[in-house]
Amino acid sequence: MMPRDEQLLAAHAEGDSAALVDLYMQAAEASLDANKAAFFLTHAHVFALECAHPSTDALRATLIRQGRETPLAPPLPPRR
Amino acid sequence: MSTTTADLSHVRQPIAQANGLPNAHYIDAGVFAEERDAVLFRSWAGLAVSADVPEIGDAVPVTFLGMPLLVVRDKNAEVRVFQNTCRHRGMILVDAPRKIEGAIRCPYHSWCYSTDGRLVSTPHVGGPGQNTHEGIDRALLGLVEIRSHIWMDVIFVNVSGDAAPFEHVHADLLKRWAEFDKPLYHGGSDSRFDLTVNCNWKLAVENYCESYHLPWVHPDLNIYSRLEDHYHIENAGKYSGQGTWVYRQLEGSEGAKFPDFAALSDTWDTAAEYITVYPNVLMGVHRDHTFAIILVPQGPEKTVEKIHLYYAQPATDTALRARNTDQWKRVFEEDIFVVEGMQRGRHAPYFDGGRFSPAMDGPTHMFHDWVAAQMERHRAVPQAAE
Repeated sequence: MMPRDEQLLAAHAEGDSAALVDLYMQAAEASLDANKAAFFLTHAHVFALECAHPSTDALRATLIRQGRETPLAPPLPPRR
Repeated sequence: MSTTTADLSHVRQPIAQANGLPNAHYIDAGVFAEERDAVLFRSWAGLAVSADVPEIGDAVPVTFLGMPLLVVRDKNAEVRVFQNTCRHRGMILVDAPRKIEGAIRCPYHSWCYSTDGRLVSTPHVGGPGQNTHEGIDRALLGLVEIRSHIWMDVIFVNVSGDAAPFEHVHADLLKRWAEFDKPLYHGGSDSRFDLTVNCNWKLAVENYCESYHLPWVHPDLNIYSRLEDHYHIENAGKYSGQGTWVYRQLEGSEGAKFPDFAALSDTWDTAAEYITVYPNVLMGVHRDHTFAIILVPQGPEKTVEKIHLYYAQPATDTALRARNTDQWKRVFEEDIFVVEGMQRGRHAPYFDGGRFSPAMDGPTHMFHDWVAAQMERHRAVPQAAE
């Protein structure tokens, strides 16, 4: 198996958001430093948002608990 | 650029005395920019059609008069129009049509927006791993949404944001065509085409509005639809066009026809109408199909006509639909030499805007008068402030 960094680069190159979510979550879990873990969680959350990944809500909730994110605002009506 | 303050009072005279808009309104970059603000941005201008974004998450970037816009069908199936720029560094968000699965992610620093325009993520905005900052109020930094209204599948936008509501501005037209205010089904890929014409967008309107040219430019129509079978449609300050009493349905090899729209009154058995919804949407209604032509100005002397045909039911005969598209394409192509010829004519320095036939050019003069009125209103604002 490729090292995670190479997998990340490959997923970025392919624009594979779902793979990026998984790889950044793995990177966060493997990190012993809270700030580094939050950096990776942030990336996982961004790509999860982009592809409507099933982990999106959980990732956001984690970041909110850490004081690094805020809850979503309610939807906006169209401007007619 | 020298004619931006040309006197338009002669345009606003009664048709028997009026001249058309001066040459500068067709060839001058300064007047083009002024018309953009006064005529196209302050009114309800046609931008695209809902059929461009048929499914939830569909996103199509559109450049309208230099303005980068994004048409999106959001998660609640509402069609919206946004400025296609990130609130962070102004980066273009979506540069080609695509499906938004979740959020719109800016490719630069990954600020993310929901399809209803909310700013939902600002990664590292407060430093690495810190995604909020007291100086960044997401509630104030959603995508800039452009006011929009959808009618007969056309997405109209009011860029300035201060026009009266569409249903008020066009109340008369909505009433006139109320019988067609029902589901319209785009014919699909074989029922849309673009024509690029080397003329100012207004010349396409002016030609469309009148029936005077039909026997000369579209001689095929003489076979069944003579000049005297047409009538003017005139509603000053709102819309104008032409109608015919002798619309004849297209027939397939075994007499097959398109299905009619439900519950139409008898008038529409043989009537058809062709109206310009000011400023830039040319529409036609018939018992069995409608069409919309959105004029997208590319500059003072170039316009893209985006044509869409609609039917009363989602599934129609493919071959007949193709014939209908071809028939209309031929008619619209027959008009190209006229609008391009008039465009070249606008470089003749002694052309004075021309005189109208008082009997035959009413709908065209009405459009000139409306454009002139918008220009006068626009010019009155800075003058009053002085």
